[in-house]
Amino acid sequence: MLKMFGAALVLLTATLAGWLKARQFAARPSQIRRLILALKRLETEIMYGFTPLPDALRRIGEQSGEPIRAIFVRAADHMSSAHPLTAQESLEQAVTKLWSYTAMKAPEQEVIRQLSITLGTSDRKDQLGHIATAVRQLESEESAAREEQARYEKMYRSLGLLCGAFIVILFY
Amino acid sequence: MNPSWLTVFPDNLRDLLLKLPPSIFPALEEIRIREERPLEINTGGRYYFLTSDGEMTRNPNAAYKPSKQDGKRLLDLITNHSLYTMEEELRKGFITIAGGHRIGLAGRTLLSGGRVEHLRDISGFNVRIAREIKGIADPILPKLLDFKHKTVYHTLILSPPQQGKTTLIRDLARQISSGTWGHPEASWPGLKVAVIDERSEIAGSKRGVPGFDMGPRTDVMDGCPKAEGIMMMIRSMSPDVIIVDEIGRPEDAEALAEALHAGVRVIATAHGSSVDDLVARPALSRLAESSFFQMYAVIARTDKGLAFKLWDGKRRGIPAAVPGWRGREEHA
Repeated sequence: MLKMFGAALVLLTATLAGWLKARQFAARPSQIRRLILALKRLETEIMYGFTPLPDALRRIGEQSGEPIRAIFVRAADHMSSAHPLTAQESLEQAVTKLWSYTAMKAPEQEVIRQLSITLGTSDRKDQLGHIATAVRQLESEESAAREEQARYEKMYRSLGLLCGAFIVILFY
Repeated sequence: MNPSWLTVFPDNLRDLLLKLPPSIFPALEEIRIREERPLEINTGGRYYFLTSDGEMTRNPNAAYKPSKQDGKRLLDLITNHSLYTMEEELRKGFITIAGGHRIGLAGRTLLSGGRVEHLRDISGFNVRIAREIKGIADPILPKLLDFKHKTVYHTLILSPPQQGKTTLIRDLARQISSGTWGHPEASWPGLKVAVIDERSEIAGSKRGVPGFDMGPRTDVMDGCPKAEGIMMMIRSMSPDVIIVDEIGRPEDAEALAEALHAGVRVIATAHGSSVDDLVARPALSRLAESSFFQMYAVIARTDKGLAFKLWDGKRRGIPAAVPGWRGREEHA
């Protein structure tokens, strides 16, 4: 009876692990897409709204879903605190602290980091160019992430179950 | 004590400035930051360099030299992390921050069609600290009263730069608007005042709301070119008195003439050290010759405060200049 219960537990855990991993593959492209949309909105705020960076980030953050919301709002908080950090430091800190809560990986983080260096430090035309570059890079990451999703999502989902079954058979 | 202008400084520079003796601190006029060159402060017309311990010295070699990083941080903070919102300001060469303080910038200009298109590689900063000195206009306002029409005369205030013109007209706006005429026989109430604040210096507005006390009946058109602003105010805000800073272009003179015909009193300032200087300036000579202004005041800052001399509309001197006077100083 106990053995049976253990086996069921192992099977369940393995399936769940596989399922979580698969979900990460599915979440990455959609989060990248949302990040792209957020950057495009930032472009509009800068180009047509003349909105100061902290306000723009906060506004866009509040309109976006998690986890992008947390990163943007945290960066805006750093910029408007009593001892404000620079735009670069604010965004960098927010990204370092909160990136692990996203499904996105190192290449996307690097794109945002690169963008943070120039964000807010030049005229509108220049800002636009930098954001457009970041968007292009993110788009190529997105398509790579979609390919990975197609290749691995289903695989991990069934792999979890299979691994569980394998362990159960081995030890039963 | 933590005045508003301190918040734009990066932490290390702020700590340095906070080490200044308490007697110097309130009298600070300018803080000049030049990348890789000595940090300079101006106080009461004298200048000093600051060492990294916050000591004042005249020896530039002992002074603290702000790094490139300091400059970058400072620029990031004064632009609210958003240089792109300041394109117009950069073209003019200065940024006004909350509290009406003005930060002059020096760097490399980018030209387009012979005009300055953009300022980049900004490496020199001059933080000019604005002060609200309530009561600085006390001695001069009673002389400007037009008892017959229960208002003030058309007045042109002249002085060289850095003598307190802006501080004076700020207080004039406040007193005219609240009706504190400072004369026993002047008993009419405050007037509607319109301030055209092209460089956000007079009212120190942030998001359209004045940072200084401008009086209860004052409207401020912030960041507006003077000539256009005068016309807009006359058309839409029905002012009794219009106050503008630093007139000097031909279109300013035209707009002022328009205000005269609309029955609005004007108080304006211009650069110059005497009434005769006016005639030599093409844009202003027309105003001077047509005796548009009913009163001219030349002001100068002395150790004791503000000194001034008056001329009437026909440029005849009016005796009995009042000696120096100092108002109650209030820090923004």
